[in-house]
Amino acid sequence: MFVLKPQSGVPIYRQILEQVRRMVASGQLAPGAELPSVRDLALKHAVNPMTISKAYSLLEAEGMLERNRGRPMTVASQARNSSLLNRRLQQIQPLVEQTVLAAKQLEIGEAELVKSVRRNWENDHE
Amino acid sequence: MNDATVQAAHLSKSFGAKRVLDDLTFAVAPGDVIGVLGKNGAGKTTLLELMLGFTPPSAGDIRVFGHSSERLPGDAKSRVGFVPQQDELIDQLTVADQLRLIASFYPHWDAELIDRLCTEWGVNPKARVKSMSVGERQKLSILLAFGHRPDLLVLDEPVASLDPMARRQFLEQLVEASADGRRTVIFSSHIVSDIERLANRIWILKDGRLDWQGDLDSLKESIVRLHLRAADGVLANLEVPGALSVRRDGSFTTAVVRDWTPGSLESLTAGRAIDVQVESLALEEIFLELHR
Repeated sequence: MFVLKPQSGVPIYRQILEQVRRMVASGQLAPGAELPSVRDLALKHAVNPMTISKAYSLLEAEGMLERNRGRPMTVASQARNSSLLNRRLQQIQPLVEQTVLAAKQLEIGEAELVKSVRRNWENDHE
Repeated sequence: MNDATVQAAHLSKSFGAKRVLDDLTFAVAPGDVIGVLGKNGAGKTTLLELMLGFTPPSAGDIRVFGHSSERLPGDAKSRVGFVPQQDELIDQLTVADQLRLIASFYPHWDAELIDRLCTEWGVNPKARVKSMSVGERQKLSILLAFGHRPDLLVLDEPVASLDPMARRQFLEQLVEASADGRRTVIFSSHIVSDIERLANRIWILKDGRLDWQGDLDSLKESIVRLHLRAADGVLANLEVPGALSVRRDGSFTTAVVRDWTPGSLESLTAGRAIDVQVESLALEEIFLELHR
């Protein structure tokens, strides 16, 4: 269920974090859905089991996953709500930063930029 | 850390006037999978051999399971497995005989595991060692080090002669061995992508010193390539802190930096109109950058 690329510069645990967050945010992983065990995932991708435990623990700490005694980890029932807006805003944050920077370099004022965003937003909805 | 599997303090080793290892201090915890990287001649093999007590340190101290590695008692020795760079197989024996010979040293030899792996890895027990290819010999060396299920597995270039299929099977076996989080694996390899999969900690040896030791994840997060873009003139005098290499090209600058943190971005731009993109690097690129 994960696409793991050990040779990408992004650490493997972060690849798992991002993919789980995305799948939960989009509803591909519903509350209660089971995740593969650490062992299975480690063997399937031939990666260090500790890396996967680390990702699962971080996801548990942020309330995305729930640990169940003797059973696989599952997506927490509240996961989608908490992940919805904040996570998705975080995902576009770099693009927003770039846009604001470019606007400043081009000496475009805040009001003009907001207007331009709004225009694009509305065009997109037609 | 008293329960360290391996612990070294100010460890040095010289051969004659040549100092091969220079003042290494480290601790290895149970469950660690450590990837040792270094150019040829960086001292990897010497380090692993010191760990195994094959040669005494010139200065400093190295301990395995709490014992000085030169005077490792028998019960501690039986918890160590080693795959040497050059195999020590006996040409006249068959695979089965060679396995039986090594198994006889260990009361808790896991014959079932080794039989299964022989089948899975395509190692024929009836073959004579003399007639085996380099890759087959390497597989057998690995099996000999695995059979007593050691708590500390030390591997010196274990996969250099294995084909991609065999390498993958070997890696899966290492995952299997380390899955319970108690075994410790220390392996050197030039196949950086294998280390990138398996290791949670990285040692980079350079000119006999530990140039970098720490988590693989932190290494990848702390050494990054920056792509900077700004109006003409802004970048020309920009100091990039921690730069390993900088390439300037008019309004573009590319720099690889070490010790990068999320906070570094703000101090770098500090109110200036610079567009910065942070690119993560594969371990191989990081290794090359550290050796520029």
